[in-house]
Amino acid sequence: MGLNVEKIREDFPVLKREINGKPIIYFDNACMTLRPIQVIEKISEYYREYPSCGERSLHKLGKRVDEEMEKARNIIRKFINAKKFEEIVFTKNTTEGINLVANSLDLKKGDVVLTTDKEHNSNLLPWQKLAFKGVKHEVVKSSEDNTFSLENFENQMSKNVRLVSVVHTSNLDGVSTPAKEIIKIAHDYGAKVLLDGAQSVPHHPVDVRKLDADFLAFSGHKMMGPTGTGVLYGKRHLLEELRPFVVGGGTVIDTTQHKAKFEEIPQKFEAGLQNYAGIIGLGEAAKYLMKTGRENVEKHEIELNKIITRGTENLEKILLVGPENPEKRGGVFSFNVGKTSPHEIAMMMDEMENICVRSGAHCVHSWFNEHKLNGSVRASLYLYNTIEECEKFVETLRKITYLVK
Amino acid sequence: MICLIALVVFGILGLFSAKYRTIAKEAFDCVFRRITLRKCTTGLDRRLKSQITGKLMRSHPRFARNVYKHFEVISWAFTIILIASLGYSTYSVYNLFVFGNCNGPIPDAFCVFDPFISGGEEAQCTGEGTPGQITGILEVHPGDPSIGPENAKVMIIEAGCFECPYTKQAVPVVKQILSHYGDNIRFVYKDFPMSSTHPGAQEAAEASHCAHEQGKYWEYHDILFENQGKTNFEDFVRFAKTLGLDTDQFSECLASHKYKAKVDSDFREAFEIGVYGTPTFFVNNHVLVGPKTFNEFKQIIDSELARSG
Repeated sequence: MGLNVEKIREDFPVLKREINGKPIIYFDNACMTLRPIQVIEKISEYYREYPSCGERSLHKLGKRVDEEMEKARNIIRKFINAKKFEEIVFTKNTTEGINLVANSLDLKKGDVVLTTDKEHNSNLLPWQKLAFKGVKHEVVKSSEDNTFSLENFENQMSKNVRLVSVVHTSNLDGVSTPAKEIIKIAHDYGAKVLLDGAQSVPHHPVDVRKLDADFLAFSGHKMMGPTGTGVLYGKRHLLEELRPFVVGGGTVIDTTQHKAKFEEIPQKFEAGLQNYAGIIGLGEAAKYLMKTGRENVEKHEIELNKIITRGTENLEKILLVGPENPEKRGGVFSFNVGKTSPHEIAMMMDEMENICVRSGAHCVHSWFNEHKLNGSVRASLYLYNTIEECEKFVETLRKITYLVK
Repeated sequence: MICLIALVVFGILGLFSAKYRTIAKEAFDCVFRRITLRKCTTGLDRRLKSQITGKLMRSHPRFARNVYKHFEVISWAFTIILIASLGYSTYSVYNLFVFGNCNGPIPDAFCVFDPFISGGEEAQCTGEGTPGQITGILEVHPGDPSIGPENAKVMIIEAGCFECPYTKQAVPVVKQILSHYGDNIRFVYKDFPMSSTHPGAQEAAEASHCAHEQGKYWEYHDILFENQGKTNFEDFVRFAKTLGLDTDQFSECLASHKYKAKVDSDFREAFEIGVYGTPTFFVNNHVLVGPKTFNEFKQIIDSELARSG
């Protein structure tokens, strides 16, 4: 499989824990990943060795913060293959990155923003909110098998579309959108593209230059980084055109009582004292992933998903969300057991075998409402999950289907 | 329905530990919403159902499946049992305030709510016979150790065991009764040695009769309770010596088991009418099992005295 999973697992202290005499099977990686010791140590290093202000204090500790922040920004740049490190804006999470674009891009009355019908609330509400300005939000309907429909997309494209903001990999079913084709078509119409990379960047190699993406937002906590960290990538000239969104300390060179002279990018978007420990930890997480190789992570997740898909295909009442082919779903196995509440299934899994899965609408209420479903149970895999864990998951699910029959 | 049970259970646990208070609060919210004809939104019922069946699934899959299927019915059954027991408990507390015993005006069983008695329903020595209804009154025979005039208005007969800690616990109450009511009471002590749990009880009872023979029954009775647990032959002789008894006569009496038949006969009589634990008191026709408080006795004695004019 290309990954030495046993060795990788040694880096994750939480995987050594047992609850009620059983190990933890962590399949909730689309919500939050676990952290390797390298990331934990890096965060701890900030608090132990140089816990001070960056970008303003000239003492040695302050300078060390600047150095580490620069390193982190540069690692992230390499991680997504951005051209310039100024193109990396640190945010709180993907949500903040998308909101930054929604509130800073010069969208006017009559402009159209296109999204898919599978968007996370974080890539839906910011556009719905712009209705007060007269900005229209339109939705591209997915194909029958819940994959992105390029045909529907092309039919909806027009000169009025200013921005296409689409999920790169869906947290709902793990399906990835054909970003390269979407971007090409959008650019042909003069529209910009924002990719919601919360679920793609941690699991697949993402190269913003190859994709020619205009914006890409992703979160740290879904790629083994600390909570409260995220990144917005934007092409340099586009970021320069954006108005600052949250303003304050750190975003300006100078102010008078009535005017302000803003910093260059990326500082003009990074208001207030930054989450230094978190950002430095995020850099370490990206380093870990680059060393492991996201192409290996992707392959590993698909192999595991095949085991789960094959193991459950003969189980009665299992209703899969998304395409049947696990290769199209990456590391996500989203399902229902008949009409049983997904929360009940998730709690039983936890109670029986310490299997941590997510249940509910996964912040994609709009899709579930449209499909008249109450939600689903979602098992999402990552680089430290094993074949044995997947087999245990299948066995537990078999028992549960017997229970609720 | 499970929320109502959770409210009571976790509400009580929450009194002792803060970790149960959140769940008790959730249960309260759920019950309140149900009462006000709204939907329970906490998901507590679902959570409890999943956790219970998930736990059962580990060891008893078939049973877990049945519980899962009929969870609502089971919850209803438990709720009805809970409401019934709450109602019964309320009635018992009412009895405790009005009659001094949670069993009502004629108490013949142990009262768990009585704060003056420790140990609850376990506060009696058992092991001989099965707890149940006592169907008669003990008879007094000539020569039975007694205090008080024969024609006293109230007769209290105690079936006791010298080695039973609960019989010992009743001793000061009996003394208080005798001192309070004087000649209105005749008190008789009958032996009901719990030999299966207290091996020295039979010999202690026999020893008490050997002391009775020399006119020092009640003094010896007190010494036996004060020295509960000391049941060697030498101990019994030593107690006799302390009271100034003729130890040769006493030793011979005890060694020859002179009063074994008497003790056995007391035991058999009590056993036959359903006595199963000590102390058991017969206050005229009223039966009290376990070491009761003075007030409980007082309620009965006063009513008996009033009745007899």
